[in-house]
Amino acid sequence: MEPLLRVSGLCKRFGAIVVADDVEFELARGECLGVIGPNGAGKSSLLNLIVGLVTADHGSIVLDGVEISDLPPHRRARMGVGRAFQIPQPFTHLSVYENALVAASYGAGLRGAAASDWSMDVLRRTGLEGKAEKLAGALPLIDRKRLEFAKALASKPRLILLDEIAAGLTEPEVERLVAIIGTVKADHAIIWIEHIPHALRAVSDRILVLNFGRKVLEGPPAEVMDSAVVREIYMGLKADGVA
Amino acid sequence: MPTRTILVLCAAVLVAAMAGAPFVLNEGFLRLATECLLLLTMAQMWNLLAGYAGLVSLGHQVFVAFGAYSLFMTAGWLELTPIWVLPVAPLVSAIVAAVIAVPLFRLREAYFSIAMWVFAEIIGALTMKSSFAGGTAGLPLATSKLIDFDWFEPIMFWLAAALTLGTIGALYRLMISSFGLGLMSVRDNDLAAMSVGVDVRHNRFVAFVLSAAGCGLAGALNFMGNLYIAPLAAFDVNWSVYMMFIVIIGGIGTLEGPILGVIIFFGLREIMTGPLGLSGGWYLVGLGVLAVVVMMLFPRGIWPVLRDRIGVRLLDVHRTPPCPAAAMALNELSGRTPG
Repeated sequence: MEPLLRVSGLCKRFGAIVVADDVEFELARGECLGVIGPNGAGKSSLLNLIVGLVTADHGSIVLDGVEISDLPPHRRARMGVGRAFQIPQPFTHLSVYENALVAASYGAGLRGAAASDWSMDVLRRTGLEGKAEKLAGALPLIDRKRLEFAKALASKPRLILLDEIAAGLTEPEVERLVAIIGTVKADHAIIWIEHIPHALRAVSDRILVLNFGRKVLEGPPAEVMDSAVVREIYMGLKADGVA
Repeated sequence: MPTRTILVLCAAVLVAAMAGAPFVLNEGFLRLATECLLLLTMAQMWNLLAGYAGLVSLGHQVFVAFGAYSLFMTAGWLELTPIWVLPVAPLVSAIVAAVIAVPLFRLREAYFSIAMWVFAEIIGALTMKSSFAGGTAGLPLATSKLIDFDWFEPIMFWLAAALTLGTIGALYRLMISSFGLGLMSVRDNDLAAMSVGVDVRHNRFVAFVLSAAGCGLAGALNFMGNLYIAPLAAFDVNWSVYMMFIVIIGGIGTLEGPILGVIIFFGLREIMTGPLGLSGGWYLVGLGVLAVVVMMLFPRGIWPVLRDRIGVRLLDVHRTPPCPAAAMALNELSGRTPG
């Protein structure tokens, strides 16, 4: 089957700092790819490259058979790339409902009743229905994280990029968020950066490990988490057990 | 919708008041009212750009001047009554904006503001050196003899009133449209806006061109009222300063803010120079102090604070969610949603 997303030979450097070094992977609809790696490994940069906030030096990003690496961010969003930022980026002076409506109107290209009904549908799915009329700037962290996800979902994406969406939340909040992500997984391809191993294991089909912008490992969650390479990167242990 | 009825009623009352004002007010007061209305229009245009597209221009005087000069020169060449030439003013300013947007939009934040100012200064200096535009001496309104002087002040007032009401009405319509929703999303967070499919650059371009056109028309009317234009007055950076002052103390990114701002602006001027008998210089000091105090106490301007305090929304551009019960029923009709 043709993958929904195919990234190949992706390179990006800022001066001496390499944020993406020949990164390649594929992702099918209904699949979730977890991405881990130490700080500065190029995880968020990988998402920035896919959404178009940063343009790649080389390499290709193909979404559903269409090369998107030369398109500006708004075009990629309209083609079905949705992203939840690590630091929530709400439209602070608009209501929660209007936040979703922006994504439904522009990203999904809906108009009138179709746009408003779809926005409410998304808010219902993300548990924000009761707060639809609240100003987005007045929301607590968990709801801002939910709204980040809701905005991404309201743009009717084919590919959803989640950047540490569970970070900073309490354990029960993480569980609720994981449950919400689980409900949309079947219809979307998801790339999820997260530092919380059990949350990532619960949803991911594969995990990709980045270090210095390079893909060092990719495989099933259990295998990757137990691998010597990951332990070396995270705990500074050499593969042979010598620090 | 009841709010809609209220708005229509308010508009009707305003139109009636504007239509009747020249028969009630004396000429001096009418001139002041015209000045207020024109500056309000310019402030709304500056607000469209700064408050909704996030571009702070310090060079908006260039659009005021282009509008006014295009009116004076076209009226002179074609020997027409200036009123019939008015449409040229917004057109010329809009074209200028569309052309300079190409280099200027490569700059962000303060660089854009300064580049706008520099551009205005350059055009101002060129105008002073251009004999066909009257040089430093300026131009009289060549066909002023064609203006009916008995009705001149009332007509100027009516034109200014029509422009102001039309501008506010059009901005209101714009803001409740989906393009307006896009503009407001850019105002709040351009990064998030482009990430959900809003073409931020296109939105900024449209706001820039519309803003220039409105300022051009208001500028043309302003100098038409004077029957005379000179480069120092037309390219005065104070045009931008006044627009900025009115928008910032009133409430940036709201339609009501500039209305409140213009009332404060002229109220302060009339009180300080009238009953208090202070010179014009003191009035500028007063304005500056007020602006600093407002910015420190209410960074988003007076209107948002007032609105939340009294709970009144005049030109409410918020969208309300569809009734939950109706949405639920609709959902059941259309079958269950996946997931």
